[in-house]
Amino acid sequence: MAPATAHDAVFALRREIARIEGRIAETLDGSGVLHRSCEEPDAIPHGTVLRREGRADALLRLQTGVERFDAALHGGVPFAGLTEIHGAASRDAGAVLGFTLALLGASSRVNGAAKPLLWIGTKDGVAEAGLPYLAGLYRLYGIGPEHLILSRGDRAADALWIAGEAAGLPSLGAVLIELRGSPSALDLNATRRLQVRAREAGRPVLLLRQNAVSEPTAAPTRLHVAPAPSALRETLAGPLDGTVGYPAWRVSLSKSANGAAPSDFTLEWNFDANSFRERTERETALPGALVSVSRGGADQARPDGAELAQTRSEPAALGHEPARGERPAHRVLRQAG
Amino acid sequence: MVTSRREANAQRIASCDRRAEALGLRPGTGIADARARHPELVVEPEDTHADRHLLLTLADWCDRYTPLVGLDEPDGLFLDISGCAHLFGGEEAMRTDALARLARQGFEARAGLASTPGAAWALVRYGSEAMQSRGIAQAEERQALAAMPLGALRLEAQARQGLESVGLKTVGVVADAPRAPLARRFGTALIARLDQAFGASDEAISPRFAPAPLSAERHLFDPLQEPDRIEELCGHLAVTLRPDLERQGLGVLELELALFRVDGVVSRVRIALSRPTREPAVIRRICREKLSALGNALEPGYGFDLVRLSVTASAPFETPQTSLVAESRKGDEAAIALLADRITARLGESTVRQPTLRDTHWPERAVGFVPFGRLDGTPSDNLAIPARPMRRHPVRPIYLFAPPERIEVTAAEVPEGPPRQFRWRRVTTRVVRSEGPERLAPEWWLDPQPWDPPLIDPKTEETQESDLGWTGQKAIMRDYFRIEDEDGRRYWLFRQGLYGTGPNGVPRWFLHGLFA
Repeated sequence: MAPATAHDAVFALRREIARIEGRIAETLDGSGVLHRSCEEPDAIPHGTVLRREGRADALLRLQTGVERFDAALHGGVPFAGLTEIHGAASRDAGAVLGFTLALLGASSRVNGAAKPLLWIGTKDGVAEAGLPYLAGLYRLYGIGPEHLILSRGDRAADALWIAGEAAGLPSLGAVLIELRGSPSALDLNATRRLQVRAREAGRPVLLLRQNAVSEPTAAPTRLHVAPAPSALRETLAGPLDGTVGYPAWRVSLSKSANGAAPSDFTLEWNFDANSFRERTERETALPGALVSVSRGGADQARPDGAELAQTRSEPAALGHEPARGERPAHRVLRQAG
Repeated sequence: MVTSRREANAQRIASCDRRAEALGLRPGTGIADARARHPELVVEPEDTHADRHLLLTLADWCDRYTPLVGLDEPDGLFLDISGCAHLFGGEEAMRTDALARLARQGFEARAGLASTPGAAWALVRYGSEAMQSRGIAQAEERQALAAMPLGALRLEAQARQGLESVGLKTVGVVADAPRAPLARRFGTALIARLDQAFGASDEAISPRFAPAPLSAERHLFDPLQEPDRIEELCGHLAVTLRPDLERQGLGVLELELALFRVDGVVSRVRIALSRPTREPAVIRRICREKLSALGNALEPGYGFDLVRLSVTASAPFETPQTSLVAESRKGDEAAIALLADRITARLGESTVRQPTLRDTHWPERAVGFVPFGRLDGTPSDNLAIPARPMRRHPVRPIYLFAPPERIEVTAAEVPEGPPRQFRWRRVTTRVVRSEGPERLAPEWWLDPQPWDPPLIDPKTEETQESDLGWTGQKAIMRDYFRIEDEDGRRYWLFRQGLYGTGPNGVPRWFLHGLFA
């Protein structure tokens, strides 16, 4: 076989593999050098639905709007498919769910219609970390009663059965499965099923895990989420010391289909504007001096029609509780209990 | 063999089998006498509980003939077969069929047919074999019962003895006697029994189950064993039900699948749906989940020879409007409802729920849960708290513990400040930042009142799962704090009560939720 023909054959095969895996194929430029087309940030215009071979949404991404993060994932977390999001311990459950919903919310410009979320937990998981609390979710993400369905299996196998059935249902906006530890039911087959069905249905299925070891699964993307100190609350006089403002998370990318190098990000989420921003290294090093840059209306415009996160709370209304510095001086630190 | 019963401080025979009867033993004979006459007698203590259970099982089985089966304890069943007999080839054929089937199961049964329950009762107990097979036609009751002893009238023992002592020994004599003196002397119960037997007054059989307004069934010559074929049959039955539902403008909300096993055991499977439907394919899929969830618990044995699908609850079903805009949304809702029903059918009730916001500040009550698709319904805890208007909300965590978990606060700002350091699940956490307090007072105007966490440590005790969570002593006000630790984990915790009011004057602290 002539070298040129062999080259073409290899290229065609790679294209085929890329098609099956649902990523963008490498392109061959004139000099015969392979490029990954995703390395140009403009390769996928935001919100464009690409159709190839009849399958829509295969290349759609969940984007944070943070360029470095999205680029590391070649455009964002795959929209249609399974994504694993890990937290170190049960006490990090809030961070894991918080980040996941923020990711879905920030991407709702792509998601479009307000389809309900299905949350699936296990009995022991509910005993360990409680149930998602609608009052908090509504406040932070604008998730109303009609947008949330809670489901619970007694064992991990039951939860995975529910997830498997739900994964193929395009009527749901997203499916979240929360599992603790590494149950034996969660094997390569189970995750493969979730991945394939989610891709067919064109919708994210997010596997939230705590206390888990990173065993091989069929999920093309795996993120680790840990809490990070939140931003200080903004007042007219500037950031208020000692307050708990916009939440932030340390997100590390440990696996991606495109083989990106493991990398860390500290992402802060502005729930008023429904947008992420990345903290600079200087901010991360000095957590006491965190100031959100998105104050003063400099943040990105909130997309119209975004349904997942749309309660714009009035920051002034939160100021009625005195911060530590403003409390009466007679309260001093004493031993209690 | 006989069974014994303790009666007036003596062991007496409660019932005897055919061979014991042949030996001349009768119920009521003392066990000691019987043993003396027949030393080989086997005596077993009577088990009324098991007898009753058997009777109930038989009643279930008789459901195959008519939905109106009433109990006549301790040993009888009333079957109201009005309008059912033709399904079995007439009254006589039905009776023969029932007796034959019962005999095959090892029961010795008698069946009598009459137009009043009272006459049928008398016929079964006092009628001859020939009379029983002939039955008592309407208006012939008086004549048929005339020769029977007074026992046939279902009288109290006292009234019966009274009548016999004055020489009235058969039904006919009593019936011919003047009624007014009889009523004066023996009470109106006697007259009522006479009227009931002769059809002068109506006697209702109280059926064990309310008959389903709609049902479809199929008798099978070849008993079914495989769940797949049962499921297939459910699909066919659902198709049969459909025209009736359409005519009445109803959709199915709850179904009962009754499986009659060849040997007489009846399994009833309840199937609930989240929204009215009449789509056979939907019903069939949900039946499949239910059957596969039951798995071995179904025990087909030698198979089922009668399968019945009845509608136990229905609701008005709007014929879907063909609107192009709403079309896809309706389809989505239907698809999710089907998924929810399948999950419920397989994994049990309350596995799929929707949270609702309610107009209260008490955290445990601010979110109620309703079964999927009943967002307009009342949450399961039945508290009459209206839905919360979707406006501004206070800051709340995204996970809420039920019940709140006890934490040990080792240092706090006294009296009203946040903790400086606390221990939760054996890990000591140092508080870096905090917001609060947000003081919540219990809702004294509601009944029942909210309750506070129990005194036990929730980690060592089994946590109860309910929407209110837990019960304990009466609620005390709480001061909530939003806390951030060194690593950035954000918690919601509260102090229960004030310093100087709790046990030892030291209030307890609880962790109630996790923030994003």
